[in-house]
Amino acid sequence: MTPLTPETVEFAGARGGEAPLTWGQRMIWSSTRWLPDGDPYFNLSWTLPVAGAVDLPAVLRALRRLIERHETLRTAYVKTGEGTVQRVACAGRLTVGVYETASRPMSAATTLAAELAATAFDYARELPVRCAVVISGGRPRAVALALSHLAVDGWSLNLLATEWPRLLTGDDLPAPGRQPLDQAAYESGDEAAARSARAVRHWRAGLARAPRSMFDFPGREPEEPRFVRYGMRSLATAVAAETLAARCSATTASVLTVASAALLAAVTGHRTAALQLIVSNRHDPCVRDMAAPAALDGLFVLDLADGTFADAVRRGHGQAMAAYRNGHYDLSAVDAVRAEAARERGADLDLDAFFNDVRPDGRWRDLPPVDRGDPAALRERTRTFFVGGYPKVKAHVFFATGPASATCEFFVLVDTAFLPGETAERMLLGLETLLVRAVAEEVPLDRVAEVCGLAPVRRPAGWTRVGDDWIENTER
Amino acid sequence: MLRERLAELVSRASGGELAAADVLASDRSLPALGVTSLVYLRLIDAIEVEFGCDVDLDGPFLDTLDGLADHLANRLAGRLADAPGGRAGDR
Repeated sequence: MTPLTPETVEFAGARGGEAPLTWGQRMIWSSTRWLPDGDPYFNLSWTLPVAGAVDLPAVLRALRRLIERHETLRTAYVKTGEGTVQRVACAGRLTVGVYETASRPMSAATTLAAELAATAFDYARELPVRCAVVISGGRPRAVALALSHLAVDGWSLNLLATEWPRLLTGDDLPAPGRQPLDQAAYESGDEAAARSARAVRHWRAGLARAPRSMFDFPGREPEEPRFVRYGMRSLATAVAAETLAARCSATTASVLTVASAALLAAVTGHRTAALQLIVSNRHDPCVRDMAAPAALDGLFVLDLADGTFADAVRRGHGQAMAAYRNGHYDLSAVDAVRAEAARERGADLDLDAFFNDVRPDGRWRDLPPVDRGDPAALRERTRTFFVGGYPKVKAHVFFATGPASATCEFFVLVDTAFLPGETAERMLLGLETLLVRAVAEEVPLDRVAEVCGLAPVRRPAGWTRVGDDWIENTER
Repeated sequence: MLRERLAELVSRASGGELAAADVLASDRSLPALGVTSLVYLRLIDAIEVEFGCDVDLDGPFLDTLDGLADHLANRLAGRLADAPGGRAGDR
């Protein structure tokens, strides 16, 4: 890859302005505060293809229009006397690197994007986007981007990818109906206040049922790096999840959520599981074309004491819908409820177990035609793989789907200060086993660990269960 | 009437992927018809806007057209009975 002379994109949007952070922005902002300054963990690297006979000026023009139409791409996050605010620049300039490569421009763009994303953004002074164009055979082939998570979430990336080909060809696109400045105004109004109040009630009721922690057992010597993530591609899981979803009147997202909860409860010795679901907050048509982070955490608490896995899916689907519906709120109000619950319980509540379904429409659209009656026969195609290790993550366990549409892509991250790293891979295969088995026969919830080949954590003598909390006797 | 109107709202929430007539004719649950969580949440919002009442998802789960219609009919009846001069059948 050879660097050529960089270009400058000068943009001038319809307006600038300043407003409090939206609830979604504040969520990411508080997460970034949790990491040391300069940590690039919340950067996203992204590539966009350039198809057809498009020249460099056309690519630069498309980038200019992208930044002009989405205010989030020209927003800085500035600390003021009234707290951190979003400040939208009306005009400005972006330096765009230009690189030439002899072959494989998309993989060159992927490498470039990772390089661009390797340095943290200066949120107050820098645009939240960095960009480079890859040229091959005399014309642009791909664009490499690094974006701050403060500017976009997964939904926004899909939105940008959808708009990109039309921007390249110079099509007119309608302006987004709502931008983060408008969203901040909406969130200061009565309708949003009512939504937030409802979410607070949901959180209060859920916290009263949640164990104070899913990780109430002695910690262990962490591995290096402390957090590890494994992935799986499993057609058997996709087919089994669809069969169970149809049988239990649920969605595949709920089947996977309940399976994750059941595995976690089985490993940690709990009869109730508490997970935070990442809520995209995109069902409202008003925010469908808003590029901005909108996701917040929803509280999902599931009773797993009795019955079968299928019973739990039926119950869990309704609970998941309630969690998703109550995922749009003022973070400080829910923080206050969490603090209140901690005071009442006399212990901090640890909710660091998460589930995220990243599939844009909540399904696998392109599953190949296979024999659906026997998902077990598809297991030989399953692959698991190591994804990466991380020094610091705000989670003890994180379950997530991947975006693949022709198979179930699933990921598990574990905190090795609590669970051995290999547990992540065991949980992936355990999830597959659980779903495949549940298609063939009823799986009692108290046999999930055994069926999945998972060893529950062992608490030393002196730990006893009070309600669904495990307590070391010296605490009493 | 309520069922018909709800079926139309399901269809609209699905972006037209589900036809109102099919939703009405089927005795399957909403998820079995292909109502994903995004579509379901859109539907609940639409019901609240149209009928001006709160649909409680923290209660028993409403996963069928009839279940939603019954829940809504009870809500509306309750509200009309509470309202000064209100009476069932206004709608």
